[in-house]
Amino acid sequence: MEGIRTRVKIGRVFLYIFSYSFVLVWLIPMLWMVITAIKPDGSPVTVLSELIKPPFTMDNYQYVSENASIWRWTWNSVYIAVVTTALTLLLTSMAAFALSRIPFKGSKLVFWIIIAGLMVPTEATIIPLFMMMVDSGLINSYSSIIFPSIAAPLGVLILKQFYDAIPKELVEAAEMDGANKLRIWWSIFLPLSRSSMAALGIFTFISSWNNFLWPFLAISDEKMMTLPIGIPLFQSGYAAELTIPMAANMLASLPALLVFILFQKHIIKGITMTGIK
Amino acid sequence: MEPTVPVTKDGEEHAPLKRKSKVAGLLTNKKSLSLNLFAWLFLSPYLLFYLWFMLYPIIKGFIISLYQWTIGNERTYVGLGNYSAIFKDSFFWEALGNTVYFVVISTPTLVITGILLALTVNSGLKGTGFLRSAFFLPHILSISVISSIWVFVLQPYTGLMNSVLKTLGVTQEIFWLDSANLAWLSILLATVWWTVGFNMVLFLAGLQEIPDDLYEAARIDGANSWHCFRYITLPSLKGVILLVVVLQSIASFKLFGQSYLMTNGGPGTSTRTLVQYIYETGFRTNEMGLASAMSYVLFLVMVLFAVVQFKFMAKKD
Repeated sequence: MEGIRTRVKIGRVFLYIFSYSFVLVWLIPMLWMVITAIKPDGSPVTVLSELIKPPFTMDNYQYVSENASIWRWTWNSVYIAVVTTALTLLLTSMAAFALSRIPFKGSKLVFWIIIAGLMVPTEATIIPLFMMMVDSGLINSYSSIIFPSIAAPLGVLILKQFYDAIPKELVEAAEMDGANKLRIWWSIFLPLSRSSMAALGIFTFISSWNNFLWPFLAISDEKMMTLPIGIPLFQSGYAAELTIPMAANMLASLPALLVFILFQKHIIKGITMTGIK
Repeated sequence: MEPTVPVTKDGEEHAPLKRKSKVAGLLTNKKSLSLNLFAWLFLSPYLLFYLWFMLYPIIKGFIISLYQWTIGNERTYVGLGNYSAIFKDSFFWEALGNTVYFVVISTPTLVITGILLALTVNSGLKGTGFLRSAFFLPHILSISVISSIWVFVLQPYTGLMNSVLKTLGVTQEIFWLDSANLAWLSILLATVWWTVGFNMVLFLAGLQEIPDDLYEAARIDGANSWHCFRYITLPSLKGVILLVVVLQSIASFKLFGQSYLMTNGGPGTSTRTLVQYIYETGFRTNEMGLASAMSYVLFLVMVLFAVVQFKFMAKKD
């Protein structure tokens, strides 16, 4: 009995050593980015002993903010992500409410047509989307990025599933009190679905923040670029250096890191919800 | 227990009213008309975007694929000519082959790594939250940042990878992005680092649904850790594993950012994926019709994946 216990204990110790050394290795690329971004240009960046001791500097950050339109790109990214998220939440929750709680002719058909959209990847519609944007003069605008994102059906599906589970009695009681559908949606369904909305919202925000392929095609004007499009453009001029591009990477990542730290639980929940329902 | 009291009360009060409205057909019609109106009012803002930016592009894409069509909107009708042209295009087949190759090497890697990370996080060590966050962290970075970091890590002479390997005794300088096999390995490495956290979270949710008494019972019967994993954990995770395999295959099939930014499809065209080839055909060679036809092939493959996904999800329910 004693033997087994010691063996279990030793196994436990090994598990600790293995897990925590692995997590350290896992984080090295990230830590490397953090540190090289504050090293002076030309310092040896592969020698550990050199990395962790001064000099440190904020010059790279200053250089990036002066020589790249990084604040403009950040603003574009923030604006697009916020508007996309707000509109997605509003429109998909209205649609989900109608499909879940208002009986009308063709309700099922509309639902299936929307759900079929889950099978359409943006990658397969970039050519017609681009031609449409050119024709309507929307190319190089915020709308050209925001509109196609709002069309994504995932939110309708998630919120409808949640709304379906809200007890009938609650709605009936409100109807007895004379509330119309708009009021029922606004003062019962929206508040009740707060946590689903939060998960969907953060999911939408991060997808928009990191969206690459479509903005890469739709935006050619440097002023209108988002961070994921602008950063590689800026870095292509600094292929031989490391410290300045890393500072650019840091600046591009800080807002997303902030969102992650603040809303970690919702993010994890959102993935679980969208993956397995 | 159902909340019987208020319901009966309401039912008593309003039952006659309901019956009356059923008799008076006009009233019912009016009511369903206003319901219809409400429903469409609620639906139309979303539907507008959906029809305009989701359904219409699919139709428009098919129309474009029947033409020789340039960005400048010059067009000649060629029927299914674009489709027969891409089937004769060896670069198309190479790009499709590359994409399938990536699906084949990345899916098992990302599923197995995802399970291993989930097991590590779930093993009850101190700092579970920290481990989970750390493994998930790269997922929130943009693909541009991920690619930039890995290009620097893998750079010969000044990169982190080679200097670490040097201290471990590898004397040869490795050019990670200059040979097809190593370039794929590099793309795979960056992809695992970037996205495996997502799979891990799905597996964690699956692991947490397995009841503890299953393990306790097995322990009492003398099962060791391997037995528990083999005969309890794996079978319980079957559904999640299938789901992740499908999701991962779809994601890997759409590979573009990593390969475009890290290798630009190189060396040569050996890591050029289908999406990149569509992009180059449409936007560099200005063959929108041809690119649209390729998009349709991509679309059909994705629908196939989705059908498989729906099928087994329906089975699960």
